[in-house]
Amino acid sequence: MSTEILANLSLAVQKGRAKDVEALIAQGLAEDFTAQQLLEDGLLTGMNLLGVRFKNNEVFVPEVLIAARALNKGTLLLKTQLVEEGVKPIGTVVIGTVQGDLHDIGKNLVRMMLEGSGFQVIDLGVDVAPETFVEAVREHKPQIVALSALLTTTMGSQRGVIEALEGAGLRGTVKVMIGGAPITEAYANEIGADAYTADAASAAQMAKSLVAA
Amino acid sequence: MNNRERAMAALHYEPYDHLPVVHFGYWEETRQKFLEEGHITAEEARSDRLTALRQGFDFEWSAGSGINTGLRPGFAREVIKDLGNGARHVRNGDGVVVLEREGATSIQQEIAHLLVDRSSWEAHYKPRLQFSAERGISQTHIDALAAKEKGEHPTGIFIGSLYGKFRDWAGVTGTSYIYADDEDLYAEILNTLGELHYQVLEETLRRCPKGLFDFAHFWEDICFKTGPLVIPSVFEELVGPHYKRLTDLLRAHGTTIVSLDCDGCIDSLLPVWLQNGVNTMFPIEVGTWEAEIAPWRAKYGRELRGVGGMNKNVFALDFDAVDAEIERLRPLVALGGYIPCPDHRIPPTAKWENVVYYCKRMREVF
Repeated sequence: MSTEILANLSLAVQKGRAKDVEALIAQGLAEDFTAQQLLEDGLLTGMNLLGVRFKNNEVFVPEVLIAARALNKGTLLLKTQLVEEGVKPIGTVVIGTVQGDLHDIGKNLVRMMLEGSGFQVIDLGVDVAPETFVEAVREHKPQIVALSALLTTTMGSQRGVIEALEGAGLRGTVKVMIGGAPITEAYANEIGADAYTADAASAAQMAKSLVAA
Repeated sequence: MNNRERAMAALHYEPYDHLPVVHFGYWEETRQKFLEEGHITAEEARSDRLTALRQGFDFEWSAGSGINTGLRPGFAREVIKDLGNGARHVRNGDGVVVLEREGATSIQQEIAHLLVDRSSWEAHYKPRLQFSAERGISQTHIDALAAKEKGEHPTGIFIGSLYGKFRDWAGVTGTSYIYADDEDLYAEILNTLGELHYQVLEETLRRCPKGLFDFAHFWEDICFKTGPLVIPSVFEELVGPHYKRLTDLLRAHGTTIVSLDCDGCIDSLLPVWLQNGVNTMFPIEVGTWEAEIAPWRAKYGRELRGVGGMNKNVFALDFDAVDAEIERLRPLVALGGYIPCPDHRIPPTAKWENVVYYCKRMREVF
């Protein structure tokens, strides 16, 4: 059992080579690696390394999207074995673009980075009403709710979600992360969010630190 | 001096009596709000230009005469699915299925893209991107522009986008997948766009008196808050040469100011544009990622000019906030080669009196 496979798997994700990922997973399973090893030490390691390079402006959005496709291919192939091995995600995040806002590129990038960090992500889509976030928190019991807004005119809806969570008595059960083009740290503090990050890679790191705290 | 002469003097580092007060239009909701508040008439509320004139602006920078470098013909609008409550999936003129909601005027959510691979490119898009003389500016319009000689406002030629339209047709994810899966196709699409733009521009300029256009304008919208939605080295290799060819052509016809509208943090693409003849950035997103012309000027020198960089968020506050914003702009204007302009369209949070005050004070201060 050579750990070279794990390194190659990591590299294949970073390069976005979905076909290589497929072949390496088949090879890894044949060589008695566990699905958890292939996931955590191969696929997620690759995505995490790419996230750091993305944050450092060494790679760019297209490379992240291509890597995420390769990662998804790999996790799909491992799905059955991961369930059999009882592997659990490191946490659950409910994510969505807030009411009145139809933009989803930023939200999707954060979702990919979260998934690439080992989170289960419940993506509610765009134009999501506060009550829908509340219902999702009740149903999925996430550790984190992540709210995206692109427009100055919709960023106020992030406050609305926080107020709705408070009204439902759920605010204490989740951390709220916010992001989007017009969002700042000061605004996050003003509306009572727990965290703001400027980019998708930072969001994944922040989410890991929030569930570890 | 008239406003054309003032704008061109400012961008060429020449003396001027005062700066023109420039805008980039309004959200439809903003004009509607101003109508409901009784500030403008129904006729004015239908027009950015008329609303802006009433508030005291001089002109919109990016208004100009455009060549047609889009899909020809565009896709027929088609309702794919009615979702109820005024929402529906619609195929738009770019062939993209989008979510439309009644009353919503913001960017629509993209549901599905038709351009995904070589076969869809060759079947649906390539045939719509062929050169024809009808794509150029009509001779009647050119003659009218020429007859006006040099008017009150700068005369612009709106050229289009060498990557942004590809992004519209395939989406950010789709363009990335095409790059990964079929690099030759990716290059072919960009080369087709570049060549079409050149042919149409060349055909139009050939029929124009030299120097007719004071400036040329492109758009891209391929960046977001922290960086580009493309790989800069790939953009430089595949799109840069097309920009060079087009801006060389413009300069040969006497147009030396070439501006570009690209939202988001453009820092990593800016050198590509500048090296290839695009010398005026518009907007300069101060409200979104705290952009400013000063660091660019320090890095790239006087060839880098700008229109934009006024933080329109102060329109929602009060006169003191407007004054403070104008004071922030003062040293930037002093750099030269720069005309402040509210970045993007003025939103409905803007108070009428604050915008009017801004226009008045800008004219007094600069």
